[in-house]
Amino acid sequence: MIKANFKITKESKLDENKKVVEKPQEQEDLTQEEFEEFVSKSGAAGSFMIFRSNKKDSELGLDEL
Amino acid sequence: MSDDLEFSISEDTLEKITTLKDQMGFTGKEWDEWFNAIVDSYSKSTKNQSKIEKVFEKNHYKSNYKNWVKYFSLNINDIWNESSARDLDLSSNSNYDPAQHSAIVIGAGPSIKKKKHLEMLAESNYQGNIVCTDRSLIPCLKAGITPDKFPNFNVVTIDPLELLKKFYDDEIVNKYGEKINGVFSTVISPVTVDIARKAGIKIHWLHSLFDYDEGEKSFNQISALIVRAKSHINGLPAIQTGGNVGTAAWFVSWQILKCSTVGLIGINHGWDEDDSWDEILAHSNAPKDIDRTTSQFQTLYPKIYNPDFDCYCIQDPTYQYYSNALKEFISRSPEWVKTINATEGGCIFGKRIISRPFKDFLNSHNN
Repeated sequence: MIKANFKITKESKLDENKKVVEKPQEQEDLTQEEFEEFVSKSGAAGSFMIFRSNKKDSELGLDEL
Repeated sequence: MSDDLEFSISEDTLEKITTLKDQMGFTGKEWDEWFNAIVDSYSKSTKNQSKIEKVFEKNHYKSNYKNWVKYFSLNINDIWNESSARDLDLSSNSNYDPAQHSAIVIGAGPSIKKKKHLEMLAESNYQGNIVCTDRSLIPCLKAGITPDKFPNFNVVTIDPLELLKKFYDDEIVNKYGEKINGVFSTVISPVTVDIARKAGIKIHWLHSLFDYDEGEKSFNQISALIVRAKSHINGLPAIQTGGNVGTAAWFVSWQILKCSTVGLIGINHGWDEDDSWDEILAHSNAPKDIDRTTSQFQTLYPKIYNPDFDCYCIQDPTYQYYSNALKEFISRSPEWVKTINATEGGCIFGKRIISRPFKDFLNSHNN
């Protein structure tokens, strides 16, 4: 086994990167409506719908319905 | 808390992540930068999946929902008179041993031709179950993957569109139909199911889940009550389709057939790196003049590196919708289910997915 050491810095590069990366993203983020329009125009056409549920187990199917 | 974080990894793991870092274009760059890119990409992908699913849901309700209700109504007499998909459950046999049962899901992705997987399967002595997607049925039969050679032969249809009838409309389907089990959603076009029935395919019905969570007034629950009113008093099985027939076939393999090992071929869920943008955009009905330089475009049409098969593929919104869901469901499947992706290409890799050349899969399942 190899031991890896990571020095955790208080003012990390991660924070700096975040500042750099997040700013343009915020500027470029689409509103929900714009996103829907863009996805629709880009071809949102599947065969069927994915099923989502608050009961996560049922998302994998039901033996009997 | 200490300012130092220390943990151990094996040499193998170090080699794998170093190779992956290089392959992702981070040679010579800080590890922190690479980790950051991975975390950022993962969180973006999860957020996008949820947003994309909402758009698809809205589009389905707008364009397709009325047809699903109509087709269910037109199918109901046949649903009452024909078999439940539950009848295909191998575990109902007293000698059932889950470890002895495997299935191969056959999709129609581009690697099926490039890797000659149909020819390899046709020439093999594979003894397990064939779970064919509707689009692959005719190519399979024509390649020699027939129920005469592979007696446990199933075909799945979950897409309600009437144009799917063409996947059953061929002399070779008429020739072998009587030896094929059809697994059909209750909301598919009666025209499609009628052509399959006339070819001799034995119809087995199941529900496709989509609004069950909305309670007793949901279509899923009302249609289930209608089915139980006359026959199938215990109801029909209901599956997650994952939005496409390939994922539905994976669910059928373990949820319905109860196979513990499920192999995948032709399940790319993405375009090959060398496919042209014209072809990609035409297939997804996107405008040809769409601006490909925007970050939104690059988010919706990402280039994905598959470390397991060392290849790149390009996804459109539909393939993202499909593949993120399939990968998620595989990672959440019961421990007794083993998924082996033998596609040798595409975008399906990750947690609980064993990637392996198809030749190896066949070698280990030919008894």
